[in-house]
Amino acid sequence: MLELDDVHVAYGGLKALEGVSIKVGNGDFVSIIGPNGAGKTTLFKAISGTVTPIAGRIRFDGQDLAGIAPSERPHLGIAHVPEGRQVFPNLSVLENLEMGAWTSHGRRDWADNLDYILGLFPVLAERRDQFAGTLSGGEQQMVAIGRGLASSPRLLMLDEPSMGLAPAIVDTIFERIVEIRRDKKLTVLLVEQRAVEALQSCDRGYVLETGRVVLEGGHEELLSDDRVRKAYLGI
Amino acid sequence: MSEFLINVENILQALSAGLLLGGIYGLMCVGLGIIFGVMRVINFGQGDLMMVGMYCAFYLFGSLGLSSVLGAEVGAIVAALLAGPIMYVFGLLLHRFLISRVTGVRVASLEGEGHYAQLILTLGMALILANGGLLLFGSTPVSIRSSLSSSAWEVGPLVGDYVSIFVNKARGIALIVSLAVAAGLFLFITRSRLGKSLRAAADNPEAAIYMGIDVDKAHRMAFGIGTAITAVAGGLVATYYPFQPYVGLEFVIVMYAGVVLGGLGSIIGAFWGGMIIGLVQQLATLVLPTQLQNTAVFVVFLLVVFLRPQGLFGVNVTRA
Amino acid sequence: MQRNSEAPPVQTTSAEARRKSIRAWLVPLVAFTLVYLALVAMVRNQYYQLMLTLVPVWATLGISWNILSGYSGLVSFGHAAFFGLGAYTLTILFVNYGITPWIGIPAAGAVGALAGLIIGYPTFRLRGHYFALSMLAYPLALLYVFEWLGLQEVSLPMRRDAPAAFMQFSDNRIYTLIALGMMFAALLTSLRIERSRFGMSLLAIKQNEIAAEAAGINTFNWKLKAIVVSALIAGAIGGFYAVVLLVVTPQTVFGMLTSAQALIMALFGGVGSAWGPVVGAAVLIPLTEILHAELGDKLPGIQGVVLGVAIIAIILYAPEGILWRVRDMLRARRSAPSDGQAAPHASAAPQAAADLPPRHAPAADARVMLDVQGLSKSFGGLRAVQDVSFAVREGEILGIIGPNGAGKTTLFNLLNGIIKPDSGKVAFVGESIFGLPANAICQRGIGRTFQVVRPFPRLTVLENVVIGAFIATDTDDDAYVLARKALARVGMEDDADLLAGGLTTKQLRLLELARALAGNPKLLLLDETLAGLGSDAVEDMLAVMRRIAADGTTIVIIEHTMHAMVRLADRFVVLDHGTVLAEGPPEAVTRDPNVIEAYLGKKWSAHARA
Repeated sequence: MLELDDVHVAYGGLKALEGVSIKVGNGDFVSIIGPNGAGKTTLFKAISGTVTPIAGRIRFDGQDLAGIAPSERPHLGIAHVPEGRQVFPNLSVLENLEMGAWTSHGRRDWADNLDYILGLFPVLAERRDQFAGTLSGGEQQMVAIGRGLASSPRLLMLDEPSMGLAPAIVDTIFERIVEIRRDKKLTVLLVEQRAVEALQSCDRGYVLETGRVVLEGGHEELLSDDRVRKAYLGI
Repeated sequence: MSEFLINVENILQALSAGLLLGGIYGLMCVGLGIIFGVMRVINFGQGDLMMVGMYCAFYLFGSLGLSSVLGAEVGAIVAALLAGPIMYVFGLLLHRFLISRVTGVRVASLEGEGHYAQLILTLGMALILANGGLLLFGSTPVSIRSSLSSSAWEVGPLVGDYVSIFVNKARGIALIVSLAVAAGLFLFITRSRLGKSLRAAADNPEAAIYMGIDVDKAHRMAFGIGTAITAVAGGLVATYYPFQPYVGLEFVIVMYAGVVLGGLGSIIGAFWGGMIIGLVQQLATLVLPTQLQNTAVFVVFLLVVFLRPQGLFGVNVTRA
Repeated sequence: MQRNSEAPPVQTTSAEARRKSIRAWLVPLVAFTLVYLALVAMVRNQYYQLMLTLVPVWATLGISWNILSGYSGLVSFGHAAFFGLGAYTLTILFVNYGITPWIGIPAAGAVGALAGLIIGYPTFRLRGHYFALSMLAYPLALLYVFEWLGLQEVSLPMRRDAPAAFMQFSDNRIYTLIALGMMFAALLTSLRIERSRFGMSLLAIKQNEIAAEAAGINTFNWKLKAIVVSALIAGAIGGFYAVVLLVVTPQTVFGMLTSAQALIMALFGGVGSAWGPVVGAAVLIPLTEILHAELGDKLPGIQGVVLGVAIIAIILYAPEGILWRVRDMLRARRSAPSDGQAAPHASAAPQAAADLPPRHAPAADARVMLDVQGLSKSFGGLRAVQDVSFAVREGEILGIIGPNGAGKTTLFNLLNGIIKPDSGKVAFVGESIFGLPANAICQRGIGRTFQVVRPFPRLTVLENVVIGAFIATDTDDDAYVLARKALARVGMEDDADLLAGGLTTKQLRLLELARALAGNPKLLLLDETLAGLGSDAVEDMLAVMRRIAADGTTIVIIEHTMHAMVRLADRFVVLDHGTVLAEGPPEAVTRDPNVIEAYLGKKWSAHARA
């Protein structure tokens, strides 16, 4: 479904990705883990088009994304839940979700999706008219995920949903992600720093370190590989 | 009539004049406010776009015959309203060929340098519009006059036979129309899907892209709407105020003061900011010489900037 | 706006640099003067004589604008305030008190300077949009005040009794000479400022005000100084303008077009360059005046249209002005043949890291440089840093690590005064630095680098580095010596004369390091110095940092690249959710289950076989 082939990204002279190749099959749950600064967020931005690779190809459903404007990509069925949530602070929770449904599929399925999202995160129903900027970090993360789901995507990309959240909330969020995948039969691409949580629920994982894939494999395999720890902590 | 009643009458008269003026200022400020709110661009040319809108209404009214078809009274209002869509297209074109070269998602994230180019570009645009206006329209002041321009409603007498307030009919109607247009815009921004997408693009352009919203298109639309709204306000001003191509300068500062007063980024705030400026300007005449009413506006403006830079209806400009 | 251009190396050293740069300007200066004087001598038509006078007048106002806005990046839309006050000062002194313009012009400058002080003091608290908008308000407010004062149109009276004593000459060319004289005075002031501590500090502010503060520059004072000098020049030339035109109206001196002209001259010619406004005025004033004279009756407003088109074209096609554009083109042509060697030679890697002597951590009884106790800071409800305590010993390399959002950069900002802490104690060499502003903390010997390196592409490496040295010495010459020493410490002494615009990422990082070292800090805070570097570059950087530490500078570093960190740091402090999670030598910390959990998630140790 999604295929990255030898993707390079640089900011000015700073190399962020150096030849990353990744494959995500239809219905897969793939996690990309790695320490800070490994290039995980850059990888997502390259897929969404907000940064442009200097080399390499990104294909979605066999279609090369290079010629497709960033704001067109969600219409193909790619939902990007960005790092740090990035909700619309001065829009209400409901309006945030409505913006998620900007795509034609999202508009078509709006009523169903809204029921599903509010069922998944009941707290959002209580806060539907509150400005998203006034919510707690965990609630904002729920809005961000809900907003992604509202577009009726085929590929859900989640960028570090655990960032800055208390451990109990992180658990809830990951449980919901697994639930979403089960209910919606979605393809999920997850980027995480927290290796265990990300690997536990995925089918396959990649370990990214300073812009390169250093390890890949099934989740059991990776969970028991001490090289993962080394990638994070150096020794 | 006692001195007290004379004072009361003066105050009430100034207050009503302030409200009439403030309503129109409010609409102008909304036009500027939506451009700043969505694009984070300070448009120095807003006053001159208003001037173009005024001439647009003027020619619709006269040369194109609205006054003879609809009569001077209705024709003047229709001309002002029609200036809106025409200037909307003008705004789209300006954005497409000029403004978009120094604005947009890429520039919005740059502090400093990006804004600098925008300020200069819109300043250049302001110079070209004002002086180009002089070339095309000449320097003789014109206005869109109807019988309403020189007649007034009398409110009162309120106390026995005394204390009457006179409301110029052209100004009164201008106020009503401007309130209606502002309310319409407000509904558009808060209720419609398209309006919400403009706010989303303003709030967080990057996230808006992830929703599939074309942010550059949203910017273009905001620039068009902002231009149109200010043009309508200009068309309304033209029904009671003679103008020439340099008229924009007289109003651009008022617009800025209003928008900052209301809080940069807040569209409703911009309306109330404009209203307050109108009131300050008129009430100032009670205690200050007429020439200083604009100075009073600047003093209020500077006080707000220093003491409460987020404005009276503070939406924080910095994004989360 | 960054335009890369490979520079042919130009040797520059300390004061010599300035003398050279002035000498380099001497040729065009003399040439310009000669051509101009020839023109002045030839032209007989009164109108063109006036034009020849107006060119240096507007050039001077442009120079004045450039000194504040071009150098410091704070765009002023209100220079008409100073210009107009100057014009009215001279006029009122003349009309009401019979004081000659010879005294009136300096008085106009003084009033301008005072106005600069009064306006600058409150307005420099504002940033960005707010600064630009409020600067716009001052001249317009003054405009109405002067109208109200009944000074709509004030004429200077003719003094036929003593024309020369009242600056009234029958020969118009004398006005041109006076205007030229004033322009040269302004130009020399501007040139002197440009490469001195003054100008460099303003440039540092333009680049990044917070980083400038962290480099020990008292930004508020420099900005205030800049606006005073700038307003003095604007006031004086405003006074002279009144003499030339003989009539002053609020519209002509306080109007928006006056402020606009000031910035248009500078922008068109070349922003941030002393000569820019001169070039701008020399092109635009004759152009618009001639258009006005020839076509003004048929095409009123043609002047303004041309000015508008000029600045739009400039901002779109040569955003730094034509002077820089022409220079770049000339330079490109000149260096084209020797393309190959124009590329910046990679700075000699001092030594491969492997060759370095093994590092010895400082003794446990070494002096405590930095002692942090119970440091806390909240933003709204978010406790970004809470109750953090640790100590750094002299000569140590301390690594601060932790997952994303752990509060590392906030901690640095608290330590060097960019953010004021809520509570706790911070002592540096035994003295409390809690709550001091950034420039005062830098003064005491704490240097700092930032994640994002933004040098001045148009300045050489040495000039970029010298900004950091001003804190350590009072004379500019010594500052250049210190800057060279700092470059040597990072192994970049051979790159001193390269333009920073053409550097590689590694060189930029070294430059940033050298800038922080140039102030001779005792303690260096390094923020992600290795991010985004290739593995060879990382090795080189490690070698440099170790050497710096070996030379006796204590280092605290934030870094994500753990492979490098475990080899560099003597000790780690691990932050998570704003608190200290663990502390100790790298081997111990990286095996600590709490740390592993923070990085890799819960239960990793249970999963891992190791």
